[in-house]
Amino acid sequence: MTDGIDGAAAATREKLSALIDGELDRPAVALACEAWREDPEARASWHAYHLIGDVLRSDDLAASAVADARFLAALRSRLAGEPVVLAPDAMTAAESPVVLASAAGRARRKWIAPTAVAAGFMMVASVSLMSRSPSPSTPSVSLATAPARAVVIPASAAAAMTPMVDARASAPRVLIRDPRIDRYLSAHKEFANSTAIGGFSSAFVREASTDAAAR
Amino acid sequence: MLRSLRALATMGALCAPAMFVQAAGSAEVSPIEPAQMRVWLMKIHDAARRQNFQGTFVVSSGNTVSSARIAHYADGGSQFERIESLDGQARSVFRHNELVQTFWPQLRVALVEQRYPLTTFPALLQAGGDQIAEFYEMRLLRAADRVAGHAAVALSLQPRDALRFGYRLWSEKESGLLLRVDTVDDRGAVLETSAFSDVEIGGKPQPDVVTQAMKKLDGYQVLRPKLSTTRLEAEGWSVRTVTPGFRQVHCVRRPLDSAARPPAPGSDAEVVQTIYSDGLTYVSIFIEKFDPERHASSASQVIGATHTLTRRTADAWITVVGDVPDVTLRAFAEALERTK
Repeated sequence: MTDGIDGAAAATREKLSALIDGELDRPAVALACEAWREDPEARASWHAYHLIGDVLRSDDLAASAVADARFLAALRSRLAGEPVVLAPDAMTAAESPVVLASAAGRARRKWIAPTAVAAGFMMVASVSLMSRSPSPSTPSVSLATAPARAVVIPASAAAAMTPMVDARASAPRVLIRDPRIDRYLSAHKEFANSTAIGGFSSAFVREASTDAAAR
Repeated sequence: MLRSLRALATMGALCAPAMFVQAAGSAEVSPIEPAQMRVWLMKIHDAARRQNFQGTFVVSSGNTVSSARIAHYADGGSQFERIESLDGQARSVFRHNELVQTFWPQLRVALVEQRYPLTTFPALLQAGGDQIAEFYEMRLLRAADRVAGHAAVALSLQPRDALRFGYRLWSEKESGLLLRVDTVDDRGAVLETSAFSDVEIGGKPQPDVVTQAMKKLDGYQVLRPKLSTTRLEAEGWSVRTVTPGFRQVHCVRRPLDSAARPPAPGSDAEVVQTIYSDGLTYVSIFIEKFDPERHASSASQVIGATHTLTRRTADAWITVVGDVPDVTLRAFAEALERTK
């Protein structure tokens, strides 16, 4: 982190970290949020800080890393499955949390780009590990700035993840709910799950769930 | 504290992946033998029928959550059940074996149905062919877990192909009663969770509560939809190749209304519903006459784990529904063929 670009990046990260600590004043908050919004690396750092903070704050959070990864994977697939919202232009003021939320939505894909920094790799790697094992023959990348004891994640692990998510996101899918289909769902659920693992009761609740979803 | 953290993070130190690797590694346990798998599934299956239990059951699917109070009594070989939905419009379901009555107290509408007993599951298990083990692999996730305050065994059922979803099951340690089921896709994402939030197992059976309520139809508009058993071939259809692992378990001609909602007036159009099962999950194919007024273009829909696909085939409108991936529904739809 000696050259100019890395120096700037380090300064940004310093800002983000201070933002997490609640130590920035209002104009600086706006700047930090802008960096967050514009710079995928800054977003990765931001996320890493939170993750590391969580892990240090509670052993429980550390223990449930796989669960976190699962949650993340589930969240990603849900987000990918969400209908496209015709969103208004991003706001220029950075005070509103809504801005962060919409920015997060737009930048979702970038999170899983293999070019993300160390923190980004953590996220990607964790998801990839549970879904697909990376090929052992592919060369690994190390991070120049990582200490010697750092765990090295093969680039293929990150790369493998990207097409999977994209394939799902781009799959043709109609998400507009058609109330006419609900009657078929109900009829199906009279049988579904009534004998297998769910038992009769759960079939009824699932029918009710169809009913509730239809409202 | 975050001061030191900041330095750590700025350096790009990676401590978290080590943890992920470790956790993922420890999940590797050898699969349960098919014979033992059958014992587990039978225990779970029997518990849902033979145990007395009451509790609150919650289904979280897609972005909806519904819950219901459930009481189940097994008494002298008969099953009694009372289910009251806790969300949305009030609805009570009472069941005495295959006789099912659904009441909507606000609408003063009652639906009386004689449901078909589907005996697929034990049949598939007892056939000796280890049908389910052929398509799913069972593993012990945790021998000592806890759900709704009960000691539970956590098991996973992983599909061996891409044609079905996986499951995570939590079975109560003593009785085997299923306390929670997660439906999981090929990437480990949970599509749907059904679980007891609280449950009391092994209480005294009170079948009278159910039978008494089932007699109180006075003041209700009583609807009795007629389902008649049919054969797909007799309806002029056949399935060229059945998706691996699935077999036909039922075929009915029916009006398209069910216990989930009061039948809409004038909705007398009948459909043919044929049901396939692989022992754990079901796929329904609905066939009806194509009606340009009601049937829009082909579409698919996903709610939680339940996928739906619609398309036009010859002069018919086909709807395929199931808790299976899209690819499986497509395979079913494409295999369907008009024979007359």
